[in-house]
Amino acid sequence: MFKRLVIALLVIVVVGVVGLAVLAYRPALDPITPPARTSFAAELVAKGEMLAGAGYCATCHTAPGGQRYAGGYAMTTGFGTIWSTNITPDPQTGIGRWSEAAFRRALREGVARDGAHLFPVFPYQHFNQIDDADIKALYAYFMTREPAVAPARKPDMAFPLNVRALQAGWKLLYFRDGAYGPVSGNSAQWNRGAYLAEGLAHCSACHSPRNALGAEQLDAHRYTGAVVDGWYAPPLDRSNPAPVRWSEDELYAYLRHGATPLHGVAAGAMAEVVHGLGKLPDEDLRAIAVYFAGRAGAVDDAATAAALARALTASAQAAQPAGDAGARLFASACASCHYNSAPQPLTERPELGLNSAVTAADPSTLIQVILHGVGVDAGLPGVMMPGFAHSLGDEEVASLAAWLRRTRSDQPPWPDLPRTVAALRAAPTRSAATAQR
Amino acid sequence: MSQFVLNGHPVTLDIDDDTPLLWALRDALHLKGTKFGCGIGFCGACTVHVNGRAIRSCITPLGAVAGQQVTTIEGLDPDGSHPLQKAWIAVQAPQCGYCQPGQIMQAATLLKDFPDPSDADINAVMAGNLCRCMAYLRIRKAIKLAAAELKDGSSHA
Amino acid sequence: MPRSDMPLRAAARPSSPSRRAFLIGAAGGGFVMAFARAATVLPETSATTLIAERGFEPGLWFRIDIDGRITVNVIRAEMGQHVGTALARILADELEADWSQVRVSHVDTDPKWGLMVTGGSWSVWQSWLPLAQAGAAGRIALIEEGARLLGVAPDACIARNSTVSAGGRSISYAQIVQRGDLTRTYTADELAKLPLKTPAERRLVGVDTQAIDIPGKTTGKAVYGIDAQVDGMVYARPLVPPTRNGSTVVSVDDSAARAVKGYLRSLTLEDPSSTVPGWVMVCAESTFAAMRAADKVKVTWRNDDTATLSEQDVLDFGRKQFADPTAGATVVDDEGVDAAFAAAASTLERTYTTASVLHFQLEPLNALAFEKDGRWEIHTGNQWQSLILPTLAKALGVGEDRIVMRTYLLGGGFGRRLNGDYAVPAALAAKALGRPVKMTCTRPDDVRFDSFRSPSIQRLRMGLDAAGAIVAMQHDASAGWPTQVMVPSFMPKGKNDRPYDPFAIAGADHWYSVGAQRVRALSNEVANRAFRPGWLRSVGPGWTNWAVESFMDEAAHERGVDPLNFRLALLDGSGRNTGSAPNSVGGARRQAAVLKRVAEIAGWGTPLPKDTGLGIATTFGQERDMPTWVACAARVRVDRASGDVRVEKLFLVADAGTIVHPDGALAQMEGAALWGMSMAVLEGTRFENGQVRDTNLDTYTPMRMADCPELQIEFIASTEVPVGLGEPATTVVAPAIGNAVFAAVGARLRHIPIRPADVLAALKQSA
Ligand code: FES
Ligand code: FES
Repeated sequence: MFKRLVIALLVIVVVGVVGLAVLAYRPALDPITPPARTSFAAELVAKGEMLAGAGYCATCHTAPGGQRYAGGYAMTTGFGTIWSTNITPDPQTGIGRWSEAAFRRALREGVARDGAHLFPVFPYQHFNQIDDADIKALYAYFMTREPAVAPARKPDMAFPLNVRALQAGWKLLYFRDGAYGPVSGNSAQWNRGAYLAEGLAHCSACHSPRNALGAEQLDAHRYTGAVVDGWYAPPLDRSNPAPVRWSEDELYAYLRHGATPLHGVAAGAMAEVVHGLGKLPDEDLRAIAVYFAGRAGAVDDAATAAALARALTASAQAAQPAGDAGARLFASACASCHYNSAPQPLTERPELGLNSAVTAADPSTLIQVILHGVGVDAGLPGVMMPGFAHSLGDEEVASLAAWLRRTRSDQPPWPDLPRTVAALRAAPTRSAATAQR
Repeated sequence: MSQFVLNGHPVTLDIDDDTPLLWALRDALHLKGTKFGCGIGFCGACTVHVNGRAIRSCITPLGAVAGQQVTTIEGLDPDGSHPLQKAWIAVQAPQCGYCQPGQIMQAATLLKDFPDPSDADINAVMAGNLCRCMAYLRIRKAIKLAAAELKDGSSHA
Repeated sequence: MPRSDMPLRAAARPSSPSRRAFLIGAAGGGFVMAFARAATVLPETSATTLIAERGFEPGLWFRIDIDGRITVNVIRAEMGQHVGTALARILADELEADWSQVRVSHVDTDPKWGLMVTGGSWSVWQSWLPLAQAGAAGRIALIEEGARLLGVAPDACIARNSTVSAGGRSISYAQIVQRGDLTRTYTADELAKLPLKTPAERRLVGVDTQAIDIPGKTTGKAVYGIDAQVDGMVYARPLVPPTRNGSTVVSVDDSAARAVKGYLRSLTLEDPSSTVPGWVMVCAESTFAAMRAADKVKVTWRNDDTATLSEQDVLDFGRKQFADPTAGATVVDDEGVDAAFAAAASTLERTYTTASVLHFQLEPLNALAFEKDGRWEIHTGNQWQSLILPTLAKALGVGEDRIVMRTYLLGGGFGRRLNGDYAVPAALAAKALGRPVKMTCTRPDDVRFDSFRSPSIQRLRMGLDAAGAIVAMQHDASAGWPTQVMVPSFMPKGKNDRPYDPFAIAGADHWYSVGAQRVRALSNEVANRAFRPGWLRSVGPGWTNWAVESFMDEAAHERGVDPLNFRLALLDGSGRNTGSAPNSVGGARRQAAVLKRVAEIAGWGTPLPKDTGLGIATTFGQERDMPTWVACAARVRVDRASGDVRVEKLFLVADAGTIVHPDGALAQMEGAALWGMSMAVLEGTRFENGQVRDTNLDTYTPMRMADCPELQIEFIASTEVPVGLGEPATTVVAPAIGNAVFAAVGARLRHIPIRPADVLAALKQSA
């Protein structure tokens, strides 16, 4: 009896493994001789550059201080650390020997030229929406970059998560194939926005929560916000907690300029997003704005005015801090830049009472900015904020954040702030605006 | 190695990028008008402008201002007669004077953002600039005087 | 240095350079405001060579160049009082100088200057006579020589605006200096007899002017100690040991620091003067490298028991002292105090405390030291050069004559730089390295090395007869004694022949007539051992008056008498409170006058909104020998729910005798009043286990602009001796605020700083 059970189990395992192997199998595509740069039309390369920007490929494929697109950027996931790969046309360590077909297959199916499955931190589940013409342009762009010799670094993940073949199973569960098709009943502008946002710009990769296996939740939780890399990507749907609702104009202005008076400045990864998207023509940004304005819901002018008035009244109180330690810290270290008075906050003085960093469900973004600041190259070009990591202890950052939360939002207090601060302080950071002392 | 534009002139410094701008200015560039008070961004003595906006140079690493325009008290006005500086003298604002370069640099941003500042505006924006001599009332008075002069169409922006 | 048997006042005066023969002498070095030092180079040349060769230099205090430019030598540190302007005005007025020609030179140390100290609000008061006499002597010499050149009789001439004229003819001082033969000398006696101008003849004193030091402070050109720089210097940051006095270095591990670019080495200081026990100096090629490396150097110290002492231990010790009737020095001890108490119908007793307060001058401590041609140069801002020079000599093992302290602007003094201990580690490191060393403290280093204001505890008792008249009063005050710790020779003896720190008790010997009075000064030995108590803006009067003026208020309320009338009745100017020439003419009656006036301008007695109160207080500034009569009314609003005390307005009236530089005087009053308020409701720390708790501005919270109340300040017009103004206003504000809180909500506070929690607790108690 026992023996039969063991045999049965073995059979199941063998069938499973073989099945998975069959399922996972992807052929290697033939290597090519790296094409000459001159073989790509200049306009095509230029278009590719714009699209690469809009896909912020450099964000993940560039290590801090490293050559652009040479990979090596560490991405911390719940499953371990993965380093991005070299996508310059170096024949040995980059994609120099990849044909356009191999490149397309990688974008569409998440499979490398040699047939290996890519981890879904590479958002092929979005890139599969990109049409052939755009892929062609991207290919032309990357194949004309300066090659860099930079071998890929092995992921730091425990067995069996590091078995690439298992990715096939993940794909089976979560991957939907197929290029983007217009959604009927919506304007062409909306559809253009959706094409860009869902595909190349892969907005939902950050702004949607993921399930236990790291897959974006596509149901009701889609676009309800998530913590990514120690930053909080706020909801892009009706659940966005910003006191002033995102209108099409605000969205457009934010994407175009990296900041608006009513919502603040793009920081962290979003700074890179707006710089990348900023390469797109105005009508494309407008289209994305239209798409997300639809998700965010209608704007009520009276509510906007009321929220604005509330925020400015609270801001004015910073002029006369009471005994609270958080209030005192804010007055001493923050108000010089963040104070506003009526009638309208100034873009260069991000109004925290309107900022989703304060109203969000998760305090990560606020804490990151307090600790590490915002660089001149972030959302608002030329305007920087230094970090306070070396000035303030965990408890102090926590009391500042708690005070802001209490006085500048109507949201419940964040739990466990000092611990969150400690964790974010310990994590590696991408911002350059922090001094040693 | 860091390059930026200091008071209108390009400079290149061969020191670590994480050196605070304050110490780069004082030790490497010998511009001593920018003062050290607390080192944690809480006193404002080290205030300079990056791209025309006041920041605390003690907590701003050199690397963060690469390629940017940095202005110190020495560069605020070629003759040291910015409307704020004139107002500071007119109301005899400084006592020991140590905080004053920072106060003036912060006030310059204040007036840019609030050309006609109320007491509350001044209190809040200047809250980060400690004056241990507590010359606060005169500083506030000087800011208003400078604001009035600027409104009357002086050449300074 | 003063001898120990000298009475305090004489000891505090300059060792009378004015009384030397008034001869033509060499010019002092130092910096001239007009020739502010370039930030990057120290002058090889002294001020003397910057100006023309020939000139008129009648003695120590000034010189007139052949171009008519007048340089006044100032031995006081410029730390925000615009002292150079005030002192130069005194001299220039008597000299009948053209003010636009006057420059100020803040001189380097030289024995010829006598005692160099800037503190106690003494500068104008002490310098008034010598400078006025020097100016008068110059004027007379110039008139005599001018008359000769003009061919007229001296008494036909008048001097004005640097010109001597007679009839329609005139000759400028510059011309007299160029052409004349100015060799006039005066003996001390002659000087003392010189006719000084009457108040009505003054043209500069009492007239407003712009302070000479201010323009440079708006452009970044003003040069402070922290800006001092010399070729080849090493930058250093100290590792301040865990306790002030009882730490020794066991081991230093700098292995991690070696990775810091620019790190040179860590020096364990051997200090023959015992000023900086247990110090390690981390040396590097830049300030920041030194700071960063110091973070990585690990030092193991051995500490004595002071590492376990805290503020509570200081206060507990004080309470024990109160209980011992034989403890301490009696500063006032009238006949029959005990009998008067015994016979009193009732007594009132209260205890008051004050917390530790940091100087937190904005420029962190720093010093540059190096040896050049056999002479040591110390470049730093300092308030009491004469105090630290002997210590430096001991530390370096050289004679005092081999050390010169170069003078710089101070980014705030407030008494911190009376104690020049911070020059010692730089000098020792420079000696050990054989290179110039520039030490810059980080803010936490500065704070941990601060000679902060000691916490204090005071017990006040009052005996009243059946009619409610005061028949006896006793004031016991225990605190750390800066003067005992730093310059014991400065301590006078009390009535019981025991030495005491006058600065730690002044104020308790008030001008109220209270029957038989005893003032007991108690040296808090726990404080003296555990840290280095410092002189902080007004020193003892900052706490004694908190107690006296709160107590007077409590007594008035106990008796059901209006606190203003209660005080006025006691300021009757009788007995020892009559006052005497020259400094305290008028005595307590002048104090009553400022009090009355402040009540008037503050609208004493008019109804105020709910939870808003007016409190008054009055003091004589600092010392009975040099009283600056001052009174304050504070209007506060108390938030009963949160305990927040909002000071809305401070009214102040002062009688400081002649006011030399009115706008400068006003600025000193403003600053001092706000300091008083800051210490009353905003700042203050605690000494805990050998260290102060707050070391930077994230938790230490001195006044900022938004906390600033409205101020209304008046001076009583007077031609009496000019007394001090740098500190007196600090002494009245805290009790005025405490009394105002009581007036507003009936909560009596007996500890400063007053925190919201204390107000809430007091409210509960009063309910
Ligand atoms: S030194 Fe930079 S804010 Fe204090
Ligand atoms: S003038 Fe001294 S700190 Fe402001």
